[in-house]
Amino acid sequence: MRAERPSLVDPWPLRIIAGLLIFAFVALFLALPLWTLFAQAFAKGTEAYLRAIDEPAAWSAIKLTLTVAAIAVPLNVVFGLAASWAIAKFQFRGKQLLTTLIDLPFSISPVISGLVFVLLFGLQGWLGPWLRAHDIQVIFALPGIVLATVLVTFPFVARELIPVMEAQGTQEEEAARLLGASGWQTFRRVTLPNVKWGLLYGVLLCNARAMGEFGAVSVVSGHVRGRTNTMPLHVEILYNEYNLTAAFAVASLLALLALATLAAKAALEWRGRTEIAS
Amino acid sequence: MARPDGDRIVTIEALGLEKRFGAFAALRGVDLKVEPGELLALLGPSGSGKTTLLRTIAGLERADCGQVLYEGIDADTISLRDRRVGFVFQHYALFRHMTIADNIAFGLKVRPRRGRPPRAEIKARVEKLLELVQLQGLGGRFPAQLSGGQRQRVALARALAIEPRVLLLDEPFGALDARVRKELRRWLRRLHEEIHVTTIFVTHDQDEAFELADRVVVMNDGKIEQIGSPAEIYDQPATEFVYEFLGGANRLPCRVEAGVALIAGTRLATDLPRDFSGEAIAFVRPHEIGVTRPNGHLDDLAHVRSILPIGPDARLDLEHQSGHIEALVPREALDAAGIGVGSRCAVRIARARVFRASS
Repeated sequence: MRAERPSLVDPWPLRIIAGLLIFAFVALFLALPLWTLFAQAFAKGTEAYLRAIDEPAAWSAIKLTLTVAAIAVPLNVVFGLAASWAIAKFQFRGKQLLTTLIDLPFSISPVISGLVFVLLFGLQGWLGPWLRAHDIQVIFALPGIVLATVLVTFPFVARELIPVMEAQGTQEEEAARLLGASGWQTFRRVTLPNVKWGLLYGVLLCNARAMGEFGAVSVVSGHVRGRTNTMPLHVEILYNEYNLTAAFAVASLLALLALATLAAKAALEWRGRTEIAS
Repeated sequence: MARPDGDRIVTIEALGLEKRFGAFAALRGVDLKVEPGELLALLGPSGSGKTTLLRTIAGLERADCGQVLYEGIDADTISLRDRRVGFVFQHYALFRHMTIADNIAFGLKVRPRRGRPPRAEIKARVEKLLELVQLQGLGGRFPAQLSGGQRQRVALARALAIEPRVLLLDEPFGALDARVRKELRRWLRRLHEEIHVTTIFVTHDQDEAFELADRVVVMNDGKIEQIGSPAEIYDQPATEFVYEFLGGANRLPCRVEAGVALIAGTRLATDLPRDFSGEAIAFVRPHEIGVTRPNGHLDDLAHVRSILPIGPDARLDLEHQSGHIEALVPREALDAAGIGVGSRCAVRIARARVFRASS
């Protein structure tokens, strides 16, 4: 009997068709828009491009975006580490519920995430009168934007870490404890180094989303030019004012940021693979 | 340094340990005293509670009921750090992101500053341990670059680095191939003779337990069936389970009248109470059975199904009315009695252990 093993390599026509499809998809949905973006941004020359960026409202938007990311990302790193550590290393009641709740921001529209905060902290909201009495402004100010960003981006770190930590089990931690390490030493010297690549990757994704978030932030920011406009909001305003060069110039900055994130991610993955292989 | 018991090798006691995982009872009332400096094996099938007992002694599990005593002190009052337990996990649990040297040094490096040896001393201790486990020169490698047997020895060196008062090993050779396993076994025995630390190891392999241990604890279903030296356990299995677990013995149903059993036609006194009469199970090892020429009786008559020569002895497959019997007899005796395949013979039981049939 001649038992021929089925070929694991697809026949060549299929490979060509699949290759063409992928190429067309990448060209149509990624390369072309990106090229248009930069072409539009530089349509009136480099000088116009720089002028569009070097402008108080643009600077303020850039600063606000960086500030929000600088607050939201560390918060989510702490939260993500705590949540994934608890979920992966311990058994407790409500674990399934917690896992589901972490995914919630992925499944609800960011606009709703923003609205929730308006309903909570807005003037007509639940805590509105109390906040006003104490002269604290959340909505249409930095705290509101940070809150909305944190909510929208909080699954990224935890989602990245939970599978990594679960795969590693708890034996190394047990070994560390028996060798005399305290809980903190065990976390810092054993748990954390074991998940560092996953953590970095989660931070990158979280950061990209924090800087690019539009929907939730749009609801809570109030679009006060020069004060509560983040970069994505600023782009939208410029676009609505038919100031296309400026809109695309600022947008190109965001796109560069995304490209840098992708490059860093690829580098991390390469680094992670070689480390495992060594 | 504030250590409760100094550096002495300790006595460890388990008193009435009970532990459940949900509906599963892993330990149901375990009492055990481990003598200082001894090498003790916990032997049993999987699910018998041996690993849970080991983990409870280490402090990785907390018993629902009962106590673990280190030198008479309730272990619950001693922190994991102060227990100084050297634990070797079945799959080693080496820190994969650290070099071998860093793995071994871990227990010393995490000590509070007061008790931490200076850097140079840590380095010297690591070198010494690497030498002890015959891994000189591999300190700079990562765990993934070592073979299973080498990892096992790193795990042992790491556990020894904290100068443990007790060494606990969970299926230490379970993940290794047969050859490496034998080698490491002998090596561990020598190591124990050298450093003489109280050692408890878990295994499901009776050869391993008998070859290595001073005393063997046979466990089944969350309870201890028997504690004794390998010879005691082999010569006098205390329970039906131990006989079954050790294997190799014939299990013959028999009848007991007033404490005397009738096993395949042989009358034998038993350890059962004088006034006991009823159904019982006899365990008879193959070499405890003899065969002679048929003598006219029916109840000891057996049919010889096959004969397999093993050196000067022969293994006989006998068909008796009570069932299948395996006997090991000198070949001379066979020839003298004229017994061959297909012939009939009379069975003589020299020794047996009889247990009441559990209804």
